[in-house]
Amino acid sequence: MTKRTSQSVRWVGQGMPRVDADGKVRGTTRYVNDVDYKGVLHGVVVRSPVARGILKGLVPDPAFDWSPIVLATAKDVPGENVVVMHDRTMPLIAEIGAEIRYRGEPVAVVAARTPELAAEAARRVRVEVEELPPLLTLQEAIAIFKATPEKLDSMKSQDIVKGDVATGFAAADEIVEAEYWAGHQEQLYLENQGLVVFPQKDGSILAEGSIQCPYFPVHELNDCLKLPPEKIRVRQTAIGGAFGGKEEYPTMLIGYAALPALKSGKPVKIAYERNEDILFTTKRHPVWVRYKTGVKKDGTLTAIECDFILDGGAYLTISDVVMFRGILHCAVAYRCENVTIRGKVARTNSFPCGAFRGFGAPQAIWGIESHVDAIAARLGRAPHEYRRQIHARPGDVTPTGQVLSKENGSTACLELALKRADFAKKLKQVSRGRLRKGQRKLYGVGLAFFAHGSAFTGDGEAKFKAKGRVELARLEGGKPVVDIRVSSTEMGQGVHTIFTQIAADALSLPPAHVRFPMADTGLVPNSGPTVASRTTMVVGNVVHRAAQDLKRQIEAFASLRFFQGAPAELRASQLVAPGAKPVPFAKVAKALLAEIGPASGFFQFELPADIRWDQATFKGDSYPGYSWSANVAEVEIDPLTCELEVKRVTAIVDVGRVINPTLAAGQVEGGLTQALGYAIMEKIGTGKNGLYDAARLQTYIIPTALDVPEYDVKFVEYPYSFAPPGGKGLGELPMDGLAPAIANAVEAATGRRLRQIPITPESIFAALHAPQGGTP
Amino acid sequence: MKITETIDIRFPKTLAEAVRLQASEKTRGKLLAGGTDLMVQWAAGVPIPKRAVSVWNLPELCAIEVFPDRIEIGAGVTHAFLRDAVQIHRHVPALIAAAATVGAKQIQARGTLGGNAANASPAGDTAPALLVTGGSVLLASVSGTREVPLAEFWTGYRQIAARADEIILAFRLPKKGKAQERFRKIGTRQAQAISKVMAASRILVEKGTIRSAAIALGSIAPTPVRLAEVEAFLAGKKLSPKLIDEAEKLAQATVQPIADIRSTAEYRRWASGRLVRDALENL
Repeated sequence: MTKRTSQSVRWVGQGMPRVDADGKVRGTTRYVNDVDYKGVLHGVVVRSPVARGILKGLVPDPAFDWSPIVLATAKDVPGENVVVMHDRTMPLIAEIGAEIRYRGEPVAVVAARTPELAAEAARRVRVEVEELPPLLTLQEAIAIFKATPEKLDSMKSQDIVKGDVATGFAAADEIVEAEYWAGHQEQLYLENQGLVVFPQKDGSILAEGSIQCPYFPVHELNDCLKLPPEKIRVRQTAIGGAFGGKEEYPTMLIGYAALPALKSGKPVKIAYERNEDILFTTKRHPVWVRYKTGVKKDGTLTAIECDFILDGGAYLTISDVVMFRGILHCAVAYRCENVTIRGKVARTNSFPCGAFRGFGAPQAIWGIESHVDAIAARLGRAPHEYRRQIHARPGDVTPTGQVLSKENGSTACLELALKRADFAKKLKQVSRGRLRKGQRKLYGVGLAFFAHGSAFTGDGEAKFKAKGRVELARLEGGKPVVDIRVSSTEMGQGVHTIFTQIAADALSLPPAHVRFPMADTGLVPNSGPTVASRTTMVVGNVVHRAAQDLKRQIEAFASLRFFQGAPAELRASQLVAPGAKPVPFAKVAKALLAEIGPASGFFQFELPADIRWDQATFKGDSYPGYSWSANVAEVEIDPLTCELEVKRVTAIVDVGRVINPTLAAGQVEGGLTQALGYAIMEKIGTGKNGLYDAARLQTYIIPTALDVPEYDVKFVEYPYSFAPPGGKGLGELPMDGLAPAIANAVEAATGRRLRQIPITPESIFAALHAPQGGTP
Repeated sequence: MKITETIDIRFPKTLAEAVRLQASEKTRGKLLAGGTDLMVQWAAGVPIPKRAVSVWNLPELCAIEVFPDRIEIGAGVTHAFLRDAVQIHRHVPALIAAAATVGAKQIQARGTLGGNAANASPAGDTAPALLVTGGSVLLASVSGTREVPLAEFWTGYRQIAARADEIILAFRLPKKGKAQERFRKIGTRQAQAISKVMAASRILVEKGTIRSAAIALGSIAPTPVRLAEVEAFLAGKKLSPKLIDEAEKLAQATVQPIADIRSTAEYRRWASGRLVRDALENL
């Protein structure tokens, strides 16, 4: 093998194989359920049998032998009975005399030596509830809102106002108004929820398991467990998918397991089977969104007025922030001087909704991208031509007043998607409800165009200041290795690989020298949760900078130790200094470890000083950067049965610098497939009994390999230059826009606009046979 | 919940041994073939029986025999075997097509024709295709073998005509001869799908006239059903676009589907007629 020059050793930008591939392919990776925890008790949550009522009593069956069982109730909560997320309303576990607000709300936790005994014990607790009438669905809440808006029980409201919509509507030639609905969606990670809580001798707890954001429980359970952050240690085991479903929910699960663990002094494991996991964990928020838009004959959007209401379920948890991200995506991709967006989170007596890839943005984009097609149709304009006219581009001002920088590849995404999909030509072939010559199926093509804000909303990152270290602290098999110490979790998305690439480049070392141990709050600084499409952009930058810091320390040491003070540089695994013989990195590193001890590079993320954000008025720079995408979907509908098949999807994506093209393309295809399910299959709702009505894999339908269309995924790169290596958010963007692209394609195929997803044969049938379906 | 109940499973080596076990209440067990329905049901909370008797791979149940007028398919024949048994495809093409839509490859490798029939789900993929052959089921017990017409086999929701001491031995299916068969399943997706509606048909057309028509639907009633009124309406009539329109409407007027998690009653009613149209348009 020829020796590479330093220039050629660039790992960023290469499709390096995943560092975790071997164990996952061979099946040697150990998930929490693969570990044989000695002496562990198995916990089972006892739940409310009704959706709403007053908890009157918990009666253990006197005929049952309770001696081997640990039974924990609200009385066993060490501190204040509250899980502190974005408010303080949700108890960890319902108290006698208090109101039960959703079916399945925990009322007790039992633990025993076997899962079977624990399950039997759970069945032997009689839960007495005085029932009250529940409000179960968003449909009921919206009916109330439409009759009397102020009667809607909204847990959080937020408006975005730009200009004056009244002026905008007065200037309009046409008003286009419509409503759009979307239901729940289940994350359906491969590995169910599961974790173990170990009580420690000093009264602290250690939790490990399938946990997406280890630092969340550290700061959310303090009041409830009466433990300061340093006494709650959390670490991840290998995670078999999360998609947001293991973002905030494991906090509650740790809380449930902690009660019998602290009571008994023994470790307690709670692991859900699939049915329990679907029934009693968070889903994507259902949405109702109403757009009223004013438009001039020349196409100028003069006003966008929008009501965006999410079904938050019974407690707020993190739904306020989901709604914020939602309203920030309701109109961000188009030029309009007058915008009013009103966001709300409706309270219903259903399971609290939570984080799911996209986090409010897919719901917003589902509405606006359907609606822009509707406006184009009203104007008699082709959907792509119309988007060419009104789409946001560098220099434009968003609804919150943010000026889009040059680092937004919006136009490039739109144009390349139209070109690669041959959109204009295909649009001429669409059926519009009647088979054309040679067509056996109704054909449609649809477009969606959208942005996804990268990282925390507003000045969240500026306030949070993500921290991370890159350390040279140990030998492995006699060779020095560098450890990445950040709290980002690997859950299948590839962060262990891309951070290895970033660190390797920053250090000028091959990836074989770099390790990324799994996140453990006892060992890593808080670089924030693995959410919000922030990891590559924000924490990737932290890793880059911290690795550079470590590199400088190694170079300084080498300079003194090996080069008599001459400036040294770590380059391609060697320390080099002018006129001196290079010294291998391994030799320098060993000397450093032996003579000084571990070296640690550190960085704390900062945003540019000119970032402005006002959380009260929602004005300013709502995201540090934006990723962009355009999706084109081609569909065929069998006129015989209304069966819908998505044949081909073109997705052009600007996520800034692409760190690993292979993994990035895989993540886009995976996200598109999840969006495909959201668009045409995945249907689950709160039934009359308060339970989700499709809580098994038999009834909750997600796409199989045979349902996946042909994908054409291409990247255009507009890097976020402030934070090298310049990635922007990727994780959520592919989930955002395929549903409306498909709905737009269905409209082109059938001539009917469907305003509710999933779009199924049943809903296409209903639209085609409705007396007056589908306008505008 | 993990399945931890113990279950006493017997593995008889021959049919004779199996029917002897089933003859007595003391030794009788739930008949277990590929397990693709039962294992899922047990995992989902259906009570697990104390005893089971495995008929998986019983030699007498695994044969396919071809006679001049009919074929006999053993109850233990898997969907995968049927799918790949090219020598019988031309005799019962609808059944073969149906077998190829069961679950996915893994399920097809374990699931059996007899198990699919005995499970008696209204959505059983092979039932309509069996029904349109006009064939029968052979049931074995210690007292011998009796033949029950398929039309009388599914007696109610998840009910079959077999007695507790009987084992499904085989399906005796008249060859289609000059008739044409068609199978179409509307599922929830392209694989691993339970049907919303499905149809099988066996129709004999001579010189433009329908001599006989057998049409069966699944997932629209408590049992798989033949559309007797539509069949009677079609028999003896000249095939024409008008006739197809009328047959579609008649089918839609005849069926009484329900709504459930997979589909709506309205869609099922409409699609029932559409699948009748599909059968007739493809003659």
